[in-house]
Amino acid sequence: MRLQVGARTDTGRVRELNEDVYLLRPEQGLFLVCDGMGGCPSGEVASELAARTIFEHMNALPGTAVTAPGDDYLPQSRRLRRAVERSNQYIYERARAEPRHAGMGSTVVSAWINGQLVSVAHVGDSRAYLWHRSHLERLTRDHSLHEAGIRRNVLVRALGREATVDVELREVAVQPGDYVLLCSDGLTNTVPEASVSSAISRLRDPQRICDYLIDAANQNGGPDNITVVVVEVVGGMWRSMWSHWTRRLSGGDIASAHSAS
Amino acid sequence: MPRLILRLDHQVLKRYSMGSVVTIGRLPDNTVIIDNPAVSGHHACASLDGEHFIIEDLESTNGTFVNDRRVTRHTLQNGDVVRVGNHTLVFDAEHGRKVDVQEAAERIVSNPGDTVFLDADKHQALLAMLKDAADDGTAAGAPAPSLVGVLRVLEGRTDQPEYRLQAHTSFIGKADTSLVRLKGWFKPDVAVVITRGDQGYTATHMRSGALVNGERLTGRRDLKEGDVLRVGGLTLEFGFSR
Repeated sequence: MRLQVGARTDTGRVRELNEDVYLLRPEQGLFLVCDGMGGCPSGEVASELAARTIFEHMNALPGTAVTAPGDDYLPQSRRLRRAVERSNQYIYERARAEPRHAGMGSTVVSAWINGQLVSVAHVGDSRAYLWHRSHLERLTRDHSLHEAGIRRNVLVRALGREATVDVELREVAVQPGDYVLLCSDGLTNTVPEASVSSAISRLRDPQRICDYLIDAANQNGGPDNITVVVVEVVGGMWRSMWSHWTRRLSGGDIASAHSAS
Repeated sequence: MPRLILRLDHQVLKRYSMGSVVTIGRLPDNTVIIDNPAVSGHHACASLDGEHFIIEDLESTNGTFVNDRRVTRHTLQNGDVVRVGNHTLVFDAEHGRKVDVQEAAERIVSNPGDTVFLDADKHQALLAMLKDAADDGTAAGAPAPSLVGVLRVLEGRTDQPEYRLQAHTSFIGKADTSLVRLKGWFKPDVAVVITRGDQGYTATHMRSGALVNGERLTGRRDLKEGDVLRVGGLTLEFGFSR
């Protein structure tokens, strides 16, 4: 199973800083988007720390992560959850140790794709979607008061704000031709899900999908930072060869990128 | 009548309707008795002063906190979270009146504008108010516990007559990790994956043919009660356990 990846982050039209971060490790199948909060310069610091520490913990953790009682998740999901929990602890301690970063926090939505099994772990209101045959399914539930019917950007879970965090997991199986999309609320607050779905159906190329969606969010005012990561699960031989050559021509894989200045 | 909602570890222990004086402490002569060593014998007292309740710390050993600030005297506002030891008391001034939830949220979340974070205590306090506003404390708004799916074996030889889909991901195939194990030389390691989400169960086709209600499973398909799955010589019926 090959993965073809596109990603882009944008400050939007109102904010001065981009506190969103994405991280791509296609060789590992690990992708994440973090949306920082806490004001200058802490929001940027928090999202950057979140992305980096989750990645580091994923590599440092032993193959089999600890099982919680009544835990019905795959070992790969538990490992991802553990990495997010450790990242929370790290940011929380940093925020307490450095007064200028007091109160910093970050959302995270992460996807770990192992063959056809995908583990999604999230905290906050950044989202993951699965696109399958023109149908877009949301894989995450916002941890915000929005879900309780109050239209406000009030998070009830975030990384780094409390000593422990409740990480939500979701598992799905994917097939060749499916797309996994991760994004910050800068996209979901401005672009309706129907437009996201039709953009994937129409454009197909992950990077073109990201570019299109960021432009659409900016055309709708771009009130917040916008980040989109699109991963295409590539199946058949012809499709793989085609994506291989187009990637060679466009200058190689994107290994990692942080918020553009 | 205003109330105090006593909570520990995010669980509501008791609700107290407030008369003109409410005392809080460890000893049995208090209105709110909290039998815990972190609480002083007579720890704090809330009394009506004109239209407002005022909470006073009675020189307690471990202090009285309102919204995480230590106080000696404080005028209670709707939604204030009073902490005494490890217990919290949420002040619900508007009980019995229709609570404007948006307004309550604005009050609890003191920092409007950008994305903000609501800590666990404030979140619980708000949820308690939302719930009380909706139904005065009964659990009508709570989601039903999600039902666990099962696969009942209709035809074929297996080691169990039915399989509970307890895990979030279950496999049907030859691999050791499979819930439903297929036997035979040409069976795939994983034929079908069944995943569990908020809305129910989804079957995803992996390798070799599988049929759902006689139709070929090619992509993903949400499973409904009574769906019949044929895979690797087995016939399985999907349903929910009772």
